[in-house]
Amino acid sequence: MRAVVAIALNTFREAIRDRILYLILAFAIGLIALARFVSLLTVGSEVKIIKDLGLSAISIFGLLATTFVGVSLLFKEIERRTVLTMLAQPVRRWQFVAGKYAGLLLVLGSLVSVTGLALLAAVALKGESPVSLVPAILMIMVELALIAAFAVLFSAFTNPILAAVGTVATYVAGHLSWSFDLLEKRVDSASGKLLCRALHVVLPNLDRLDVKAAAVHGVPLAPGYLPLATAYGLGYASVVVVLACVVFERREFV
Amino acid sequence: MSDVIALSGLAKSFHGHLGIGRTVAVAGLDLAVRPGEIFGLLGPNGAGKTTTLKMMLGLLRPDAGTVRLFGLPPTDLAARKRLGFLPENPYFYDYLTPVEFLDLYGRLHGIEAPERKHRIAAALAKVGLAGRESTQLRKFSKGMVQRLGLAQAIQHDPELVILDEPMSGLDPVGRREVRDLILSLRAAGRTVFFSSHILQDAEMLCDRVAIVFKGRLVASGHLDDLVPREARWIELSFRGAAPSGIDGEVRQNPDGTALAKLPDVAALTRALNALAGAKAEILSVWPRRETLEDLFLREIERARERERVS
Amino acid sequence: MRRLAPILALLFACTCTWGARAGLVRMDSARKGEKELLYLPNGKYLKAISLGHAPLVADLIYLWAIQYYSDYERADRYRYVEHVFGDVVAELDPRYLDPYWLGALILTVEAHELDRGLKLLDEGFANNPQQWILPYLAGWECDHAGQYERAVGYFERAAAVPGAPAALLRLEAGMTARSGDLRGALKRWQAVLDNPRGDEEARAIAQRQIRGLTVQADLAQLTAAIEAFARREGHRPRSLHDLVSAGLVPELPLDPDGNPYAYDPATGEVSSPASRVLGS
Repeated sequence: MRAVVAIALNTFREAIRDRILYLILAFAIGLIALARFVSLLTVGSEVKIIKDLGLSAISIFGLLATTFVGVSLLFKEIERRTVLTMLAQPVRRWQFVAGKYAGLLLVLGSLVSVTGLALLAAVALKGESPVSLVPAILMIMVELALIAAFAVLFSAFTNPILAAVGTVATYVAGHLSWSFDLLEKRVDSASGKLLCRALHVVLPNLDRLDVKAAAVHGVPLAPGYLPLATAYGLGYASVVVVLACVVFERREFV
Repeated sequence: MSDVIALSGLAKSFHGHLGIGRTVAVAGLDLAVRPGEIFGLLGPNGAGKTTTLKMMLGLLRPDAGTVRLFGLPPTDLAARKRLGFLPENPYFYDYLTPVEFLDLYGRLHGIEAPERKHRIAAALAKVGLAGRESTQLRKFSKGMVQRLGLAQAIQHDPELVILDEPMSGLDPVGRREVRDLILSLRAAGRTVFFSSHILQDAEMLCDRVAIVFKGRLVASGHLDDLVPREARWIELSFRGAAPSGIDGEVRQNPDGTALAKLPDVAALTRALNALAGAKAEILSVWPRRETLEDLFLREIERARERERVS
Repeated sequence: MRRLAPILALLFACTCTWGARAGLVRMDSARKGEKELLYLPNGKYLKAISLGHAPLVADLIYLWAIQYYSDYERADRYRYVEHVFGDVVAELDPRYLDPYWLGALILTVEAHELDRGLKLLDEGFANNPQQWILPYLAGWECDHAGQYERAVGYFERAAAVPGAPAALLRLEAGMTARSGDLRGALKRWQAVLDNPRGDEEARAIAQRQIRGLTVQADLAQLTAAIEAFARREGHRPRSLHDLVSAGLVPELPLDPDGNPYAYDPATGEVSSPASRVLGS
């Protein structure tokens, strides 16, 4: 366990000093600041624009960070042979993968915290209570944790470009999971229905983790929804991380 | 005392793209390394040295054969705990400092915090990097990175140190320092296993060597047995045509000089008299012992012959 | 010379670009008079490709729509209002209230098309049954257009939303009076008076309204009876009691203060001192 923690902290330290992260952070905060001005263009509720733009900025820049940092994590190690010294240590391979993933989560958590606080401040400055946004920000973190797991899985066995494409594709497919449900009803053949059903169940359903609309309009969620959705997201993420560990275990380092 | 490293029947081949074609990297290798010795795995590039090393560490799975470190398979953490490894052309994290880097590896070995600090300082001093504790690694030169890699391999005082091409990319000063380090490790009772294609270094350091070519062992044993210390022949170089009375091979060079290979001192005396009589200009006399390079080239040629025949 | 060449090339490229841009701008203003077609994909499609960011896309389209509709010279301005605000934005974020009432405002106030505007507000209320503000706004639009009965219906719907302010009941009653249904208005004002949630001020207003409406109803009833008498007998009655004897009214109503209504046989007008107090 201490190995996982040591590797996680190191990964965090290494990633947090990479300047690309600061670029992403600057863009996200810039966008939230911009939202204040964009909201002047609207007729009616100005705060809604700030909330929507802010939450989407945190989500999208979080996705960018997850893809960039997550995908390069394992690739850099393998490409640059740091993995060789690491695996010659008395450390198991799964501890290495888990440590990398935990480090990535730390990085993403920091990013979401900083941008989240910026958004809460922007909304509070407009005179509204930003408390209803907190669940949405937490669920964005859960969604990013799930995407990060896929980023680590893909980068365990392929080059960074394919891994990045795979990660973004997972994000898109995850948000279109509802369409497989619809397709199942439209398709005629039994095998087609089975395929749609399988895809709908197996693919991560990211819409279930999306509570932005409810948060912005202040609509209370069904009791128990947040814990269940969090359990779904984190549970799915753990499955993917375990898969990544298995893939990495079998890998040969030529 | 049992062998520190024992390789038996090790074999590994790689498939080409899309499964077409097969390259044999290592074909049936047997090796044993005894405790407290410096062992050199030698061979030209592409001989399978690095592949063998990676199999020894569990980074690759052998197609056949076994690897035992301290009697344990490399997948056993207990075995890895007792060794230190430096890969070829290492590269480390850009943004960490040497202290942070060594601290991580120390933690992975389970060394407690106060002890770690001592060891890090000692290791950095030993490799000549004291004073650079807070410089980020991306600012390190290649030689400095190599030295840091060595520090990482020895900081936990392992019984076995495995080095892949430790001298590559270093300037003569750096190479001297690495040589001294390896010797000091043996003096402290540790075992050192390194691979190299620079034979002069091996000659200066190793107790025993193994020479591999195209994945096969072509020679192995004590250095003293393979390359005896006595001079094997004496080289005499002179200007002019070779007079009679020289019993040994003579090679004429296009620039007017010639090189004679004489079997012993008696033949040398006779040749010198003959040349004095012919008033030829003597350029140099050089008693040669067979070097590892000679052995190497000879064995390689022999192996190639075997291939051609089969 | 070597340094001059890139500068000249740059100048040339800039000039060309600037000229082309000027030409395009001129073309834009020439096109102003044409009917513009708006290719905005429908809401369901946009929702699909927004990948979880539907509310943001709704905001962006709404912001764009505000700019689009501030251009008064646009030909055929009102063609796409329902599509933009009702189909696209509402589909992306059905709980976003601003587009419903802004779209309705554009349609009722600028295009003078009450029914189209009401349709938008109806859609908004169907998606947001907790938002009494939407039928409230609809009621006022009907009032502006003079359709008082419809207004009453909307205020009724607004008042029925749990948590709606009690003042809506008064609006309902007042609008009923304006629509001419005095009996209905009286009933509603009575409901306001009886409303346990109402405050002192509301009850006072209700009482005054009931007073005034009762007088109005009585006067209307008496006036109608007088005219009927005149038609039957050929002359106006000499006093109000004649109406009772003639069987046109069962009995003479008294005003809220208990006084009989005044009747001027010369003009045939009935009046009440109570109405003067109210000024209603």
